[in-house]
Amino acid sequence: MLSAEGLSLDIHGQSILRDVSFEVAPGEVFGLVGESGSGKSMTALCAMGLLPRGAVRRGAVRFGGEDLLGAGERRMCDLRGRQMGMIFQEPMTALNPVRTIGDQVAETLLVHGAAGRFEARDVARERLARVGLPEERFGLDRYPHELSGGQRQRVCIALAVALRPRLLIADEPTTALDVTTQAQILDLLRGLVDEEGMALWLITHDLAVVADMADHVAVMRHGRVVEAAATERLFRAGRHEYTQRLLRDSRHVPKRVAAVGPAPVLEVRGAVRDYPAKRLRLLGPRSMFRAVDGVSLDIRAGESVGLVGESGCGKSTLTRAILGLDPLQGGEVRLDGQPVHAGYLPGALRARMQVVFQDPYGSFNPRHRVGRLVAEPFHLVPVAVSGRRQRVAGALQAVGLEPADMDKFIHEFSGGQRQRIAIARAIVIRPKLVILDEAVSALDVSIRAQILDLLADMQQRFGLSYLFISHDLGVVRAITDRVLVMQAGRIVEQGETGRVFEAPQHGYTRQLIAAAPRIPQDWVG
Amino acid sequence: MVRFVLSRLLSLALSLAVASLVIFAVIEVIPGDTASFMLGLNAAPETVAALRAELGLEGGNVARYFAWVSGLVVGDFGTSYTYRVPVSELVTARLWVSLPLTLYALVLSTAIAIPVGVIAASRRGGVADFGIMGATQLGIAVPNFWFAMLLVLVFAINLRWFGAGGFAGWEYGVWGGIKALTLPAVALALPQASILARVMRSSLLEVLGQDYMRTARAKGLSQGQAVRAHGLRNALIPVMTILGLQFSFLLAGAIIIENVFFLPGLGRLIFQGITQRDLIVVESVVMLLVFAVITVTFVVDLAYAAIDPRLRRAK
Repeated sequence: MLSAEGLSLDIHGQSILRDVSFEVAPGEVFGLVGESGSGKSMTALCAMGLLPRGAVRRGAVRFGGEDLLGAGERRMCDLRGRQMGMIFQEPMTALNPVRTIGDQVAETLLVHGAAGRFEARDVARERLARVGLPEERFGLDRYPHELSGGQRQRVCIALAVALRPRLLIADEPTTALDVTTQAQILDLLRGLVDEEGMALWLITHDLAVVADMADHVAVMRHGRVVEAAATERLFRAGRHEYTQRLLRDSRHVPKRVAAVGPAPVLEVRGAVRDYPAKRLRLLGPRSMFRAVDGVSLDIRAGESVGLVGESGCGKSTLTRAILGLDPLQGGEVRLDGQPVHAGYLPGALRARMQVVFQDPYGSFNPRHRVGRLVAEPFHLVPVAVSGRRQRVAGALQAVGLEPADMDKFIHEFSGGQRQRIAIARAIVIRPKLVILDEAVSALDVSIRAQILDLLADMQQRFGLSYLFISHDLGVVRAITDRVLVMQAGRIVEQGETGRVFEAPQHGYTRQLIAAAPRIPQDWVG
Repeated sequence: MVRFVLSRLLSLALSLAVASLVIFAVIEVIPGDTASFMLGLNAAPETVAALRAELGLEGGNVARYFAWVSGLVVGDFGTSYTYRVPVSELVTARLWVSLPLTLYALVLSTAIAIPVGVIAASRRGGVADFGIMGATQLGIAVPNFWFAMLLVLVFAINLRWFGAGGFAGWEYGVWGGIKALTLPAVALALPQASILARVMRSSLLEVLGQDYMRTARAKGLSQGQAVRAHGLRNALIPVMTILGLQFSFLLAGAIIIENVFFLPGLGRLIFQGITQRDLIVVESVVMLLVFAVITVTFVVDLAYAAIDPRLRRAK
């Protein structure tokens, strides 16, 4: 139904796609996988005719026999939304914040002249109910900000399939969502394909999602399709070296030798964190929202502890309290036996605890050179200025970079390299505890595998303890000794990582593990 | 929404109360006798005493403050010392010039700026954008009194379409009034429109890069339809802020233009009040301007909430 033949794309003279060919059959799920920058999204935007200015396309993209590259803008407007729908990665920003969800779904019908105002509203009501937002609970006059990320992605799906298109392009539709929400959205997409005979072109970096969903898969790298086959065949007998490497990296488990000391580095006892909630009446009493509810945990020297749970379960709030950034309303946090109080933390104590955040792009000041960025924690401890440069060079080498990188600016580095720099900054003053807050979530599988190896190696060499916070269960399983499962502010289950994953006791843990997509065991040997 | 309006009204009332206290304190309570200041250095003590009695300066500060505020509430602003007429009369007469002039200038600047900003943003980097950016740069840089004199030269002296200045009053016909205010309004609108057009352009450019614009295009909207249906309303939010500020500025800040065109506006009244040491006039007009600014802020807040549903809940 949709096919690309020798599709190439240049943007402002830079080659983005080269000789891309693939085919999507009616009613099938076609998976396009690859790492960031491989050209997956650009291929989809090529087909939709939504490329940025300066784009030059060659080759052919045929949709039901019609050449899309030759079609005029007017014809493309007619096809988009009516024959080809598309949803995107970030549901939080994909909807217009100032218009109601009913309006935005009905608009698809109105703009194509497919229905009158009232009829379009009826269809919007029906489509929203189909994607799991029935009118009784989610009125058409709701605004996007009143919905969660998963619910917004449902609205996006509803407006994309409002006219029952023959093809739905889903560009990383669940990457920004929790495992449980991801499972629901994937389920919904599969249902739509089955019921409405729609074809689904699923773009993702996550091989497990593709294994779970797709009939056919194409693997992209550097703007080319390196291999394409039926899903099971690709996983069982993928020939291309890159396909095999992707598979290997996605399941990578770093070599670690547990060397856990007896003394606890971090002790959290009965931590409680309340937020003032919205007032119910003007001048009425403020109610409180309990984000962290009596959490206790220990991390011993050299130990790596995972903390998993959905977004909003209190993981980040707990992290901020441990770091002494927010005050607790109850309980206490001790680092090396000394109490951590929000507000004032002695430099020597702060120096024993460092953090690496998720976003390798937003966590550096772009105007400082790397040497200065990595040296930042030195103000916490008395280190002679003369020795600092050497320590920074050592830290950069430890994370696999060159001492000469000190004089570069942060924009000269890729995402994976930046995360290495973030780790160098965290270890340069030899802390005892490093908190890794979704530190590998934004990285591609191959980079992620390297960073996981690096973390394991650092732990060995410096006897670090890790608190590893992630929504990615596979990663947590690979790098932690113990895992804590958090739900609605409470720890509902904890234990040795292997034990918790093999034989989860709590219903919520079982739910989380069941929701995570997996590549079938026998496919990968 | 009701709660939002109530909470904004509460903050409006509080701001007014604080502002009245500050103005009262600055003019009446701080050291230096108001009456002797108004009369100058060589005044005889009896004259000062007489003025003090006339101004109602005898009595405690608290009582005087409440007398002043309760006067304000019912529209009694006191009597001007130099003009010997109630300040409320003076102010009303001037407002009949300043308020229409301000609104006229704002309507003009909005009517020019929004389409111009939209055109520049939709053709970013093109000839139209380049031309508009250059023109608005000039519009901001050129002093408006010079532009005003240019307008007088061309449209009043050479073409004789408009009068060169003065304002006869609305009682001689609405059309005549509008005609008299046109050149000053254009002179006032030019820099404002230039600023507003640039704000509109950058605001719309930001909106054009948003994910929901891409969603709209994927639905089948053309670029133009997407801008109209999803871009404009989102882009107007920062524009509202600037409009509110411009209104407050124009109401009393038009003094130079008022002088160029010999218009009896509020700006000139306050200037005359200061030069003639007529503190009663100054105090009342300042309070009135504060009232206007706070009210406009309130209206802008309501406009925000009308545009953006996320702001409708009171914090």
